[in-house]
Amino acid sequence: MRKMIVLAGSTSLAAVLIAAGCASFPDEATTRQIAEKMMHDGFPGVPPAFAKRVAQDRSQQICSKTGNAKLTQQESADVVKLARASIRYPASGKLIGDWKVGAKLAYNGSGSRIRGGKLEKAKAGNGALCSNCHVLNPKEFNVGNLGPSLAGYGAQRGQSEAVARVTYERIYNTWAYVPCANMPRLGSSGHLAPEQIAHVVAYLLDPQSPVNKR
Amino acid sequence: MPRKVGGIAAFALVCLVAGGVTPALAQSGDPLGVGRKMLAEDNPGELWVERGKTLFYQKRGPKNASLERCDFGMGPGQLAGAYAALPRYFQDTDAVQDLESRLVTCMVALQGYKRGDLAKTAMGNLDRMSDVEALVAFIASRSNGMKMNVPLSHQKEYDAYKAGEYIFYRRNGPTDFGCITCHGENGKRIRLQDLPNMTDRKQLQDVVTSWPAYLGTQSNLRTMQWRLKICYWQMRLPDLAYLSDISVAITSYLNYQGNGAVIGVPGVKR
Repeated sequence: MRKMIVLAGSTSLAAVLIAAGCASFPDEATTRQIAEKMMHDGFPGVPPAFAKRVAQDRSQQICSKTGNAKLTQQESADVVKLARASIRYPASGKLIGDWKVGAKLAYNGSGSRIRGGKLEKAKAGNGALCSNCHVLNPKEFNVGNLGPSLAGYGAQRGQSEAVARVTYERIYNTWAYVPCANMPRLGSSGHLAPEQIAHVVAYLLDPQSPVNKR
Repeated sequence: MPRKVGGIAAFALVCLVAGGVTPALAQSGDPLGVGRKMLAEDNPGELWVERGKTLFYQKRGPKNASLERCDFGMGPGQLAGAYAALPRYFQDTDAVQDLESRLVTCMVALQGYKRGDLAKTAMGNLDRMSDVEALVAFIASRSNGMKMNVPLSHQKEYDAYKAGEYIFYRRNGPTDFGCITCHGENGKRIRLQDLPNMTDRKQLQDVVTSWPAYLGTQSNLRTMQWRLKICYWQMRLPDLAYLSDISVAITSYLNYQGNGAVIGVPGVKR
């Protein structure tokens, strides 16, 4: 495949092929045009409130490179800058909430899904989705491994204001620290409220939390 | 040789040479092994295959016709190897179609079903079995033991492949996920659900040669259209349209890369 793309990319052969009327891979701009039309048409009858879920914001566009293409320095800087500018803090100013509330949120993988045009009911707000991808309480085995283990997170780092701030911001918008990381920008997207994130921070940092017990 | 014919010959030669630069895809699999494996397994998906076979040859729908005149790319009623070469471009619809969208085209054109009704009932449940799922299982199973051989020759096939690649890597929605987020590394899981790495040729081939599949968690046979719809639901995007161009493009991108691998369907999955 790669070999073919390289060959098709060489001007002389491409010119011959086009002149001969042969089919070939569309260029990047044409591909984007075709695919974006598919995305636009692929979710018909979307209530306007959900339509923006299909469109990409600037950061998502930057983070959608195909294959092994790397971000440029400028792109990384742009993503970090946009992420930093998006971060909001709880009105109370408290970045560490109630770890018991955070525990429930961390293991809750539901909320915000759409079926039949209707938003999933979530009485206690959206789940924080953490255990889908991270080890938290080391005794809980029904957890994913897309992200690193967070067992002992607080025990290793302490509970200083600096640690609380970094933890809060990495949950709110992890792209402020690792541009285009796999983890969702849980606060910036509106999936979690600032107060919910503070509860999850407490679950990660509190010495009484199962995360920090052996 | 008249000038005009010479031109066509030159055209054909150039295209042949251009086609010839496609590197031979990795050949893998063991056709006999597929048969052995299927015999060894107690595969509930076989019930869908059997039912699909009956439905295929039955006269059904408002036009009281069977599906024997449906062309899946190998000629009317020719099912052997058809699934191995899908998605592909069809002239009558001027579109690239996967098996399920082609089947629905035929159920509408030959049998007189309404497309909207089929879309509503295509994904069955324990109370109402789906005819479409059974038919997909049957038709796909007629390629068992054969190698995936998805064509890339019509311009719209090239377009679908590249659009599929673009969409595979496109990060979107409140989770910022694209297909690549969960299917780009080895040995990953969401909770206890294993995630195949679709950027690894071998793992990709195992996936595309085992759908449609019987899913234990669903107690049902499911198709790739269902799989992609559920992925988008988990990604928190709105409802993916049934037989969307998105799902056909992703399937084109994946199935073409599966070329050379031996089909064994229906698969059995968690």
